[in-house]
Amino acid sequence: MQATLSAPGAKKMDFPPLAMLRSERNLIGVHIITALIALTFGIFMGPFQSFHRSPAFVAAFPDIGIPVFSYYYQALTVHGVMNALFFTTFFIVGFTYYVTQRSLERSMKNVAVGWIAYVLMLIGLSIMLATLFAAPQQSAVLYTFYPPLIAPPTFYIGLVLLVVGSWLATANVFFTYRDWRREHPGERAPLAVFAAIANYIMWDIATITVAIEVLFMLLPASLGLITTTDPQLGRVLFWFFGHPLVYFWLIPAYISWYTMLPKQAGGKLFSDNLARVSFLLLMIFSIPVGVHHLFSDPGISATAKGIHTILTFVVAVPSFMTAFNVGASLEYAGRKNGGKGLFGWILKQKWGDPIVAAQLVAMLIFTTGGFSGLINASAQLNIAVHNTSWVPAHFHTTLGTAVTLTYIGILYWLLPMIRGSALFSKKIALAQVYTWGIGMFIFASSMGQAGLDGAPRRADLSTSLYLNEAAKTWLNASAIGGAILLISSILLFVNIVGTLFSKKPVEGSAPISTTGDSTAPLFLERWGVWIGVILILALIAWGPVIVDTLDFTNGFNILRFTTNGSPY
Amino acid sequence: MHIDRLERYWLTAVAAMLGSFVAALVVSVTVFGIRLPSPVDRIDPQHLEETEFAEPGIRAVGGNRYEVHIVAKMWSYDAGPEAGAAGAPPVIRIPNGSQVTFYVTSRDIIHGFYIEQHSVNLEVIPGQVARASTLFNRPGTYKIICNQYCGAGHQTMYGDIIVE
Repeated sequence: MQATLSAPGAKKMDFPPLAMLRSERNLIGVHIITALIALTFGIFMGPFQSFHRSPAFVAAFPDIGIPVFSYYYQALTVHGVMNALFFTTFFIVGFTYYVTQRSLERSMKNVAVGWIAYVLMLIGLSIMLATLFAAPQQSAVLYTFYPPLIAPPTFYIGLVLLVVGSWLATANVFFTYRDWRREHPGERAPLAVFAAIANYIMWDIATITVAIEVLFMLLPASLGLITTTDPQLGRVLFWFFGHPLVYFWLIPAYISWYTMLPKQAGGKLFSDNLARVSFLLLMIFSIPVGVHHLFSDPGISATAKGIHTILTFVVAVPSFMTAFNVGASLEYAGRKNGGKGLFGWILKQKWGDPIVAAQLVAMLIFTTGGFSGLINASAQLNIAVHNTSWVPAHFHTTLGTAVTLTYIGILYWLLPMIRGSALFSKKIALAQVYTWGIGMFIFASSMGQAGLDGAPRRADLSTSLYLNEAAKTWLNASAIGGAILLISSILLFVNIVGTLFSKKPVEGSAPISTTGDSTAPLFLERWGVWIGVILILALIAWGPVIVDTLDFTNGFNILRFTTNGSPY
Repeated sequence: MHIDRLERYWLTAVAAMLGSFVAALVVSVTVFGIRLPSPVDRIDPQHLEETEFAEPGIRAVGGNRYEVHIVAKMWSYDAGPEAGAAGAPPVIRIPNGSQVTFYVTSRDIIHGFYIEQHSVNLEVIPGQVARASTLFNRPGTYKIICNQYCGAGHQTMYGDIIVE
C-alpha cells in the first residue's frame, strides 16, 4: 500500500491502524448498533413465519404463534420494514462513514450534520416501531405499502425521516469527497470511496419517486386530506425506487468483496479498473429496469416491459464482471496459500476465518440468486413465478444472504474495532456463518419449489385451503431451513452481546486501502456526466410508463379512480 | 484501459449467454405467442355496475372460445351466480379444449389472480382491467389463488376452475 499524499494544511486526522478515533467510533458505532436493534426486530420474525406457513408444523404445534408481533401480517411487515429498510439503511450509512473516513484519511465534512442525520433516522425508527406495535392491523401494509392500503400517518412519517436522514448522510459524504478531490488533483479516489459515491448518487435519484409517492399520495390519504389514490401510479413510483434499492444494499457488500476481501483472503484485487466500471454500470443501469417488477401489471405496456427486460440483462453484466474479478482475486490468494491444480485454490481459502467464510458463503449463495434473478427478469418466465414464494426465495439468497451475511462478516471486524475489544467467539461466529448458509440454502430452494407448485408469497398459509400436496411438502421443508436460521440468528446475537461486553483486546487492522489504482482513467470520476446519463436513461425508460399511467383522457386527474379503501 | 485476456473471454461468454436469453424471449413471443398483460381499459371501481363487470360470469363467444369476467374484492372473487353463492369461492366450469380469456378487475384494493399450472398471473388493480388468455386442454381442477396481499383474509381468497 502506498503512503498517502496529502496537501499541507489539509484537515488530517491521526489515524491509528487498530483502535478507532473517538469521534469516528461514536458516530459509526451508533449507526451500527441501531442497525442491529432494527435487525433484532426483523430477523426473529422470519423463522416463525416459515413455521406458520408449514402445514406439518402448524398441525404438530398449533399453539406456537409468532412472538411479540402475533398477527401474521404485522410480523411480515415488521420483518420487511425492519430488515430491508431500517437495518440496511442504518448499516450502510454507518459503514459508508467508516469507508469514507478511513480511505480518504480525513474526518467527515460536518460531524454535527452527521449526528443530525442520525437523530432524524432514529426518530423515524422509533415512530415506525411504535406504529407497528400500536396498530397491528392498520400498519400491516408490508414494506411495499402499495396504495390503496393506507397505514396510519406515523408509518409514513417514520419512512420520510429515515430517507431525509439518509439524504443528509449522502450530502456529508459528497462534500467530504469534494474537499479531498480539491486537495488531490489528478489522483484517483480509493475504490471503496468511488463505489460509495456511486451508491449514494443512485440512492438520491431513486428515492425521489418514492418521496413523491409518500408525500403527495400516501401521507395525504392517511391524513384524510385526499380520498382517492391511483394504485397503478403508486406501484410505478415505488418500483422506480425499488430496484435501485436492492443495489443500494448490494454495493456496500461489493465494497467489502472488492476492497477488503482480497486483503482478508491474503491476496490482492485482480482489476481495480474494471471494478470501477462495474460500479458505474450498477449505478446507471439499476434505474431503467424497475418495470421487471411490474410484468403482471395491467396498466403498463408490453413494449415498456420488453425494454426493461433487455436493460435488466445489461445490469446483470457488472455482477458477472464482479464474479470474475473477485473470483480471480480469490484464486490469486488461494494459489499464494499453496493451492495447486484447477480447483486446489478453492480449498486453500480461509474457510476457518469467520470474516472470510461469511463472504465466501455469501457469494456461493449469491450465484443461485443471480440466476433466479435473471429468471424473474425474463418477461415470459416471470408469469410462472410472479408473486409466488419463488420471489422471497430469490431475495433471501440475494438480500438475505449475499448482502446480510456479508454485512455480518463486516460486523465481525467492525464491531470489535468500534468497541475496542476482540470478537467474543470466533467459533460461534464460524458456526453462525455455516448454519446461515445451510439454513438459507434449504429455505430458499424449498420456498422456490413451493412457488413453482403455486404457493403464494405473503400469505398466512396456516389456514389456507388451496395448497396442493407438493406445495405443502416444500413449505414443510422450508420450515426446517427456518429452524436452522433461527439457531444461526441466536448465535449471531450471542456473539454481538458477548463482544459488546468483552474485555479482550482487539486484534487485526482496518482492511482498507487509502489509494486508488493509478491507471484508472480519471474521467470515471466525472460524476456530473454520469448523473446526466442516469437522468436521460430514466426519462427514456420511465417517461412513457408514467405518462401511460397518468390518465389524460379524463383530464389530469391521477387521483380520480379508486376509493381510498382500507381493509379494516 | 487494460483488460485481461481471460476477462475478455469471460465478458464475451457473458454477452453471448445474455444474448441467447434475449433470443429465447423473442422466440417465446413470436413462436409460442406468450403475451404479458398490457393495458386493456380503465374503469371506475366505484361504479362497476355501469361497466362490463356489472354481471360477472362466463360467456361463450363462439367455437371453443369463452370470456370470463371476474370482480375481485376483499376476500373473494365474484364470477357470477352460476359459479356459486356470493362470497363463497367460485367454481367455474369449462369444457375441455377451451381457449378462455379472463377479464379481472378489483372493486377495492389490489388483488392477485393466479391459475395453477396455466400461464395466468395477474395483478388485479382497482381502476384497471387486467386480461389474460389461456388454453385448458387437460381435464382436472385448478385453483385460482389470490397471490397479492390484500389484508387479513388474504389467505382465504381463492376459487376453482373445473375443466371437464
